Amino acid sequence: MRFFLYFCTLNCKYCKYTCLMSDIYSIVTSRQLSYEQKVVALAHAAEDTLSVLNVPETTRRYFEQGVICNLNEGNAPYRPRYIMPDYEKAVRQGVKFLQLEPPRDLDELLTFLQVLYRHVPSITTYPVFLGDIDRLIEPFIEGLSDDEVKRKLRNFFIYLDRTITDSFCHANLGPQATRAGRLILDVDRELEQAVPNLTLKYDPAVTPDEFAEKAIYTSLCVANPAICNDVLNSRTNDRYGISSCYNILPIAGGSYTLTRLVLPKLAAMTDDLHDFIERLLPDAMQCMADYMSERIRFIVEKSGFFESHFLATEGLVERDRFVAMFGLVGLAEAANHFAPEGKKYGSDPEADAIAEQIMQVIYDFSGRYECPYCEIAGHRLLLHAQVGIDSDHGITSGIRIPVGDEPESIYDHLRHSARFHRFIPTGCSDILPFDITGKQNPAAVLDIVKGAFKLGQKYVAFYASDSDLVRITGYLVKRSEIEKWNSGQAVLQNTTQLGAPTYASAHLANRKLRGV
Amino acid sequence: MRVRKIISQSTVDGPGNRTAVFLQGCNIRCAYCHNPETQAMDDPEAREMSVQEVTAEVARSIPFIRGITVSGGECMLQAGEMTELFRAVRQLSIESGHPLTRLIDSNGTIQFAEHAVLMSLCDGVMLDVKAWDNAVYHRLTGAKDNSAVIQNMEWLLRHDKLTELRIVCLPGMVDVETILEHIAKTFDSIGKIAPVRLLRFRPHGVAGELKNHPMPTDEQMARYTALAQRLRLDVSVR
Repeated sequence: MRFFLYFCTLNCKYCKYTCLMSDIYSIVTSRQLSYEQKVVALAHAAEDTLSVLNVPETTRRYFEQGVICNLNEGNAPYRPRYIMPDYEKAVRQGVKFLQLEPPRDLDELLTFLQVLYRHVPSITTYPVFLGDIDRLIEPFIEGLSDDEVKRKLRNFFIYLDRTITDSFCHANLGPQATRAGRLILDVDRELEQAVPNLTLKYDPAVTPDEFAEKAIYTSLCVANPAICNDVLNSRTNDRYGISSCYNILPIAGGSYTLTRLVLPKLAAMTDDLHDFIERLLPDAMQCMADYMSERIRFIVEKSGFFESHFLATEGLVERDRFVAMFGLVGLAEAANHFAPEGKKYGSDPEADAIAEQIMQVIYDFSGRYECPYCEIAGHRLLLHAQVGIDSDHGITSGIRIPVGDEPESIYDHLRHSARFHRFIPTGCSDILPFDITGKQNPAAVLDIVKGAFKLGQKYVAFYASDSDLVRITGYLVKRSEIEKWNSGQAVLQNTTQLGAPTYASAHLANRKLRGV
Repeated sequence: MRVRKIISQSTVDGPGNRTAVFLQGCNIRCAYCHNPETQAMDDPEAREMSVQEVTAEVARSIPFIRGITVSGGECMLQAGEMTELFRAVRQLSIESGHPLTRLIDSNGTIQFAEHAVLMSLCDGVMLDVKAWDNAVYHRLTGAKDNSAVIQNMEWLLRHDKLTELRIVCLPGMVDVETILEHIAKTFDSIGKIAPVRLLRFRPHGVAGELKNHPMPTDEQMARYTALAQRLRLDVSVR
């Protein structure tokens, strides 16, 4: 039983985590929730006693039908969902509110970051973004031996893994190769931890092959880091970071909200593609966008976050660098619903054409809708391929090809991804489990990445078939921890509890294995 | 060309990700051969393909590969067709703007020196040194002696076409230490080097007497590697 992530009073029909007041007593007296989890659950329950957002009847119905889902963001948002502090600026100027002076050596830096991370809010209550960690560390390691630096980094990363007990947390590397980056990869491989998620920003013109290969080798050992197409993603945002699962957001900003459109639920309302495209989809998108605007207005105008939180008052985030992530999930099932019998998204041109038609309509809407307080995005909504939640059944992440329907050839798979990734600016990804022979030739895997990125694929993650750490939808979980949880034992990380049912229900063990 | 199979994504046939073309037919019979079905000069499962057809298959792997490797069987038995294939793949590189290297994986029984045009179109050869001692070589492969292999190794080294030397490590059947020592001597005398790869014998796919033969242990592989390092060879293990 999990109370702490799922509180909501929208009474969505498909949601199995509806909160009742009587649940609060259960939270207080639970033997399964840790103290911290109880506090978070109670805060969420308190928030949800409010009804401050104007949600029209039509929208409310879409929620009840499971078409629109706010991913448990709460009824009265008092902070943006994802916050991407400008850590470099913080390190330069210190943080007055936390009484932190600019750090002068590596020890001071790591303590500085540990304290600051502790105070970065988000939807999970944990920081979802830890910064360009190699660039932050690099200036502080001059004159220190590799062993010295690694010893300190090891302690730092253990602290992060054991205190940020939720793997929707991301640190970034690259695109430049640095000594700090190399040492972080070494430590990451030794520690085999789920937190933090790491992503290498990769630009073939900037990132040396040797460094990218080291990153890939590491990911074939410990499923970390993922690789992000820096060339394409830096076109969307001047300074971007990867947070949470694989969310691409402006640094010194973030995202107010992520609400998602569950395409298969909407598609189920009609068998007529024309009706879907012309009537249902525009109506649902309008409702969802208005709902998101309502949330954004509340955060900006009522919550006081931007007037009072130290991140805002000290210039570590700027209000006009926040965006709105318009999520979508289950493109595959929606396309399959309208495709001729037996034709499937991912392998059949007719199903893919329908999917592209749907995506184009959504993309056009996102570029037309006037969203308040989203200056950096030109007041537009930004599409996001939402990864799904554990209660989704028969709904594939974002725009991915369902497990079992993957094309025989990895090249066709990646070409397909590139075709659909072009619509998605704030995060989409593919996860490819590799045969262990890949580990002996990371250069080969890098060749595949180079090809995919050239074609427009934006983000890819690997893990090896024998790895304990696996990527569930975007976050990392240890298979051994899943087994522990499934056998009834307590586990440290919230995401293990999310990952365990998803690993089974989405048949992730059956993902098509790549490599020879 | 008599083609046994084409693997569009191979991580084990040379540097980087490659499309590997396996030709049908071999002129020796190695006891440890892991694809003995390619040995016969013809086989119902092999197919005759034109150079254009093979090139079209290669084109489907662009931009994910850095090149092709032609292997076998023994691909040098079809040196003429391979020359045309390399010419076509070079043209494909030019037209697609995607560079593709062209490598040969060979047992070294056929003289490369006699195929000047092919060698001018080829970026390098991955050469199997199966044994050094003639008796060992004969017992392992059924072939008379390995003088052609040694000549080829020297010729390729002198002409900067030796991408890699490969030794399948199978204690008792292969004189790994002797091979390593002679390779080091050859490198010294010519004044050039090439990477040496130690392949651990795996019974997977093997037919005949070695079908259930155990793999060399980690300790055995470590001993070979240590020797190679003492001989200052650029060695890697797979």
